[in-house]
Amino acid sequence: MASAAEAPRRKTRERERQSSHDGFLRYAGFRWLKIATLLCVACLASYMLIDVQPRHNGGSWYGYTLGTIGAGLIIWLTFLGVRKRAMTPGGWSLKAWTSAHVYLGLSLIVIGTLHTGFQLGWNVHTLAWSLMMIVILSGLVGIYFYATLPQGLSTNRDEMTETQMIDALRSLDRQLHDAAQPLEPAQAALVQSSLEQDPFGGGFLARIANKYPGCKTRAAQSELRRQRAYQPRTGNDPLDKVDSLLERKEATMGRLRKHLQIKAMLQVWLYIHVPMTFALLAALSAHIVSVFFYW
Amino acid sequence: MTFIVRQIDYKADGSEIVRQSVAEGDEIRIGRKGDNAIHLPDLAVNPEHAVVRAAGAGQITIESLSGQPFDVDGRSVESASVDAAKGAELRFGGHVIAVGLDDGSGHVTFSVRRTEAVSDSAEEKDTGFIYTLKGLLPGKRISAWGFAILVLVSCLAWPIWAWATYDDLAYQKDAERPAGFHGDKLWISGDLSLAHKSLSNDCQSCHVEPFVAVRDDACLTCHTEDAHEHAPLDRQLASRGQPTGFAAFRRFVSVSFNKPEGRCVECHTEHEGAGDMQPTQQQFCADCHDGMKSRLKDTELMNAADFGNSHPQFRPLVLVQPVRGADDKAPRKRISLDQRATEDNGIKFPHDLHLNKTGGVAQMGRRLSGKFGFGQNMVCEDCHKTDKNGTRFLPVNMEENCAMCHSLSFDKIGGTFRTLRHGEPDMVRADLRAFYRSTPPSRPINLGSLARQRPGAVNSRRTASDYARAVNFRGSRADQAIRQVFSRGGACFDCHQVTPPSAPGRVDFGIAPVAQTDRYMHKGWFSHEAHDDEECTSCHLAETSSDARDLLLPGIKDCRTCHVGESGASLTKVTKPVESTCAMCHDYHADEGAPWLMREADKKKSKTVTAGAAAKRVNGSASR
Repeated sequence: MASAAEAPRRKTRERERQSSHDGFLRYAGFRWLKIATLLCVACLASYMLIDVQPRHNGGSWYGYTLGTIGAGLIIWLTFLGVRKRAMTPGGWSLKAWTSAHVYLGLSLIVIGTLHTGFQLGWNVHTLAWSLMMIVILSGLVGIYFYATLPQGLSTNRDEMTETQMIDALRSLDRQLHDAAQPLEPAQAALVQSSLEQDPFGGGFLARIANKYPGCKTRAAQSELRRQRAYQPRTGNDPLDKVDSLLERKEATMGRLRKHLQIKAMLQVWLYIHVPMTFALLAALSAHIVSVFFYW
Repeated sequence: MTFIVRQIDYKADGSEIVRQSVAEGDEIRIGRKGDNAIHLPDLAVNPEHAVVRAAGAGQITIESLSGQPFDVDGRSVESASVDAAKGAELRFGGHVIAVGLDDGSGHVTFSVRRTEAVSDSAEEKDTGFIYTLKGLLPGKRISAWGFAILVLVSCLAWPIWAWATYDDLAYQKDAERPAGFHGDKLWISGDLSLAHKSLSNDCQSCHVEPFVAVRDDACLTCHTEDAHEHAPLDRQLASRGQPTGFAAFRRFVSVSFNKPEGRCVECHTEHEGAGDMQPTQQQFCADCHDGMKSRLKDTELMNAADFGNSHPQFRPLVLVQPVRGADDKAPRKRISLDQRATEDNGIKFPHDLHLNKTGGVAQMGRRLSGKFGFGQNMVCEDCHKTDKNGTRFLPVNMEENCAMCHSLSFDKIGGTFRTLRHGEPDMVRADLRAFYRSTPPSRPINLGSLARQRPGAVNSRRTASDYARAVNFRGSRADQAIRQVFSRGGACFDCHQVTPPSAPGRVDFGIAPVAQTDRYMHKGWFSHEAHDDEECTSCHLAETSSDARDLLLPGIKDCRTCHVGESGASLTKVTKPVESTCAMCHDYHADEGAPWLMREADKKKSKTVTAGAAAKRVNGSASR
């Protein structure tokens, strides 16, 4: 068409790219951060401007308003657990939900605390507030871990999958088993103790701290080295092979344990976040019932 | 003897691979070393662990060489005899050796199987499980349920149980729950005020019915004396008017949630923390009284919202007409101080004359200052005395407050003055008549004497007859004196309005009734004591009043030279503003006394004084 031909050529606009690498924190240009900030500012401003007599408390009309918003938010936030089991794409994608969950959850610190009017005590109302704060703070820890740890996890893994990690260990164990066949019973027992020890054992504290003082592999290696230190070098000592295998096994275990530590940190906050959420829902129910019971 | 050794391995698909070897001799060895007939590549097995010896047909003995035990049919032993025909199961480390007889040849067979994995890692692992914290921490589901149930039991079930097991506190002034912790105290939303501290263990004395907001009858269980009704509730609600906009929505919500309007607790909020109960803000007053006339058409009250800029002129209750007898029986009416307010109390009294710094009154005061403590001139307190609280003034009393100067003396006997009786005109008349009846006229000095007589008998007779006439008419002089005392220039007339005699010639003069007003503001409160830094005349313009009918009350304008609204509102500039809420002068539950706010302030003041005095005593005793 003529008109189209005469039209000045326009620079090709860069196609809007939809990046799928944005995490839930940066989702949609921090949309939910902005919304949550707006919500907090609105609450703070109204708290300052509205003159509740004799002083701010949860039982004034303003307190009830904040409380209703807070309770609604808590219930909605809890539904992330349901929502994440039913994935949908688009604006209400799980990422959007998670982003909203994080930022609206953080705004609950302001809303919930203003709802109390800073009147705290040893009662069900403050219990609910404390549980809410525990849930939020544990979530905050979770976000921090999610933001900082995966990089380390990836570096440590060095492109190995979890299955490969355990396969490597199995292979080393088999080789160790074979190489240790000619050993003296006492030495064989040391190697055997390394083989028999559960590489995933040690308990929660060992795993989260990455400290395994009872590691049999290390014990076997050091003991065998100690024994060998006083033996003449014959050049064909089966202990040489065992020693190098134990060293490789320890390096592999080190990687595995670092992996386990990071994974534990990525999961542990949920062991507080989720149970405390349910405790919070119970405390919230008791809080609301008590208010109306002794209306 | 021949032993058959079968090493059994497993393929990946689970099927068996059997490698058979034959060993000849009377004994064969079991061990980790490769030259053993039964070679077990197992680190838990010694290089030469045990020896198997033939012991007759189908019989073998097994004996440990290393001193390390092995299992036979599950029992740990160091030597054992086995009948191969019956069979047995030997276990060395992770290997199981089934002993039996070969069906064809009848040789003893050893079927060797590895039953344990080479290492722990070689065992089957669920990779979806081992990399997680499952099994290391209590499960999320179980702890979620656990905590939730714990909270529900302790914070919901227990309080409800505590409530259900105690219900005889309602409307019982003296009922108390036993001491100790009761579950429903977990629900307390804040400490009770000091006034209600004793109720802190007895939730149900106020929270009578569950899911029913606290009602006034619970308050009135105890507050039988001090909760005077402000106004009928329907009139209060009418004067508050129909809320609009957001307020209407708020009312809709609170009514929907079963919170009726106009309850005590709307103003008297509780659970706001230990301490004094907070005074009610004047906004609560203004909710109704601001523009009330437009909502409550028939009210006589004027609109008011803030003392500083929205309060009507004072309307004191003044005497219409004094009556005889009690002051409080006299008819009174409220008039605004915007008009020139007058009040007829039946007295003639020019304030200006008495307060003048020069002139007869001041001079007389100076002369009597030795006896009565007057100063250079008369001042208000020379005549007006405050009541015991210093709030108001006692009625002026003639004998105590006027008679210092306004003497009613008419006779002197020896050193004693006889006075006319104040307030009793009949006695005045009787006393005067008695005086003239009982006293002779003064005797002329020339009567019956030669000393100062004019010459001539006629003069002597004239004197005698004049005196005789005077004696004769002495009694009738009394009426003249009575007329004088009740007429212009007489003692009564100076201060009182005199009613004329019933008929010409009579002397039954009367005194118009007198009444004094001790309190003009009955709806509000004013304490003179609180204002004793001020001069009387800075509010009461007595120095320029020449008429006793002038009502010398200051108007609201005078009060506003110091008093501003609750938050400082004022119509003119005030140099030293005194912020004044409604409650400073008015009381919601008003009685005849001071408003609650001022009573509380007085209480605090007296507490400070007592504490100060106690501190002084302590210091004093310490210094001694």
